[in-house]
Amino acid sequence: MVILSLLILNKAGGLIFQRDFNEGLKKLSSNDYLVLAGTFHGVHAITSRISPVRNSGGGLEVLESDRFRMQCFQTLTGTKFLIFAEPNQPNIDVVVKRVYELYADYVMKNPFYQIEMPIRCEAFERNLVAYIKPK
Amino acid sequence: MTIYSFYIFDRHCECIYVKQWHQRDRTFRPTSSSASTVDSPVALASDRHSSTSSKLQNEVHPSSRGGRLSVQDDAKLVFGVVFSLRNMVRKLSGPDDSFISYRTGSYKLHYYETATNLKFVLLTDVKMNNLKVVLHQIYVNLYVEFGEFFSIEHPGGEGVAVELFEMGLDSFIRTIQD
Amino acid sequence: MQRGDSLNSPFVPFSPNPSIQQGTPTSTPPLKHTLSSSTSSNLRYSSSRKSIYDRHLNRSQRSELSKASFAFLFGEMVQYAQKRVNGIADLEKKLNLHGYSIGQRLLELLLWREGRSAKRETRILGILQFITTTVYRSIFNKPADGLEKSRDNEDEYMLIDNDPMVNSYISVPKEMSQLNCAAFVAGIIEAVLDGCLFPGRVTAHSVPTEQLPAKTVFLIKFDESVIERESVLG
Repeated sequence: MVILSLLILNKAGGLIFQRDFNEGLKKLSSNDYLVLAGTFHGVHAITSRISPVRNSGGGLEVLESDRFRMQCFQTLTGTKFLIFAEPNQPNIDVVVKRVYELYADYVMKNPFYQIEMPIRCEAFERNLVAYIKPK
Repeated sequence: MTIYSFYIFDRHCECIYVKQWHQRDRTFRPTSSSASTVDSPVALASDRHSSTSSKLQNEVHPSSRGGRLSVQDDAKLVFGVVFSLRNMVRKLSGPDDSFISYRTGSYKLHYYETATNLKFVLLTDVKMNNLKVVLHQIYVNLYVEFGEFFSIEHPGGEGVAVELFEMGLDSFIRTIQD
Repeated sequence: MQRGDSLNSPFVPFSPNPSIQQGTPTSTPPLKHTLSSSTSSNLRYSSSRKSIYDRHLNRSQRSELSKASFAFLFGEMVQYAQKRVNGIADLEKKLNLHGYSIGQRLLELLLWREGRSAKRETRILGILQFITTTVYRSIFNKPADGLEKSRDNEDEYMLIDNDPMVNSYISVPKEMSQLNCAAFVAGIIEAVLDGCLFPGRVTAHSVPTEQLPAKTVFLIKFDESVIERESVLG
């Protein structure tokens, strides 16, 4: 399972977590990632608007390009998880679910974490790395 | 296997061709005559040649859409989405990567950009596979032959070429849908 | 709707320090016939007019609690304490206090459940064994991972927990790295010791290792009186 990187956006579209696990995407500055997150938040909103099917209510879920494939999971509370993986990587759904579970455990149950703020939970990162990139 | 709409954007970021099929809210009825299929072919010229707009059909059916966006607004939004995503992909994985398609819960958008920065966009239902080849075919066979007359450089020669293009496009799309 | 007065409330103001206890114990209040009065007291009555005091004490012996529920509650407890203190030492003291009141009740319950075979512990090793097995098992469903006696000090003992359950979802930020939320469990231990007449202080210290990044040591420091008594007992 090769995951290239993970981004988490809060309700307002601000970037609260970003981490690269494998090579494949270019390294950008933190400012670039912030801008990217904001742009994506807007694009996601528009994609549900231009839907040709009435009352669809869903935003962008999968984005494909030549070199990577991005899956966006939006929770019921508006938090978005963006997973970047290789184009022919199967079972990204499983990965997304597991990452969400880790988020619900180690971020939400942490009394020192402020909601919607950047994630600085050591247990979350430790478990994430252990799951995505076990050595 | 439904195709909802088709857009062409030129390199000046204008929408030069829009075609929408109204199977959005109903099931597609494959019939042969053009009258019963509720097509609304809308060809838009750039704003600079609004004086020649009388030649063009500009049908918009707001009533059937029930308060949704007009065609022009739709086209603008689609262009915005496509442009932003293309830049995002370029930024993330280098200038030679290009975004191919994206899928939401209800539709799929396919994108193809030519070397001349001409952008072809196709909105279909979720089950369609990668239609980049189809878009490439549309470009090569139909646009290159008949479609150049859409650009603002050739305002005059629109009449015949538009029809030929549309006929070709129509038949091509129908073969895909079946 | 009538306002509650002291007759309706069966609660005695409870404080951790028995010397400053106020109020008198009351008997079970008479059954109420109107539902509106239940809003005036804190006690909840089911439709069969039974309150929590009518339940058998062994009813919850084998019951389990969802770890997530506890984690959220404990997280709120930590946040609540954090707002009212300034300083890590104060925060640990507050958590210790929360655990203390739980430990007092837990001790009574566990000794009652042992029934006739219950033995009152008089030796230090005995009470520490009791904590390591019985108390720990009743709360966390597993015994503690180790018990050691300090070589340097006569009055210090160490209880080791490789992965305290209360800390499982908590990541302490770097600027508060001295804080260990297992101070809560330390409070429970301290209350059990106090209740069995082994006064002392219990503190929680994290000693992370490679394999066990959450390893915690509870340092138990007994009072002078306990050590003297222990030496007299031989």
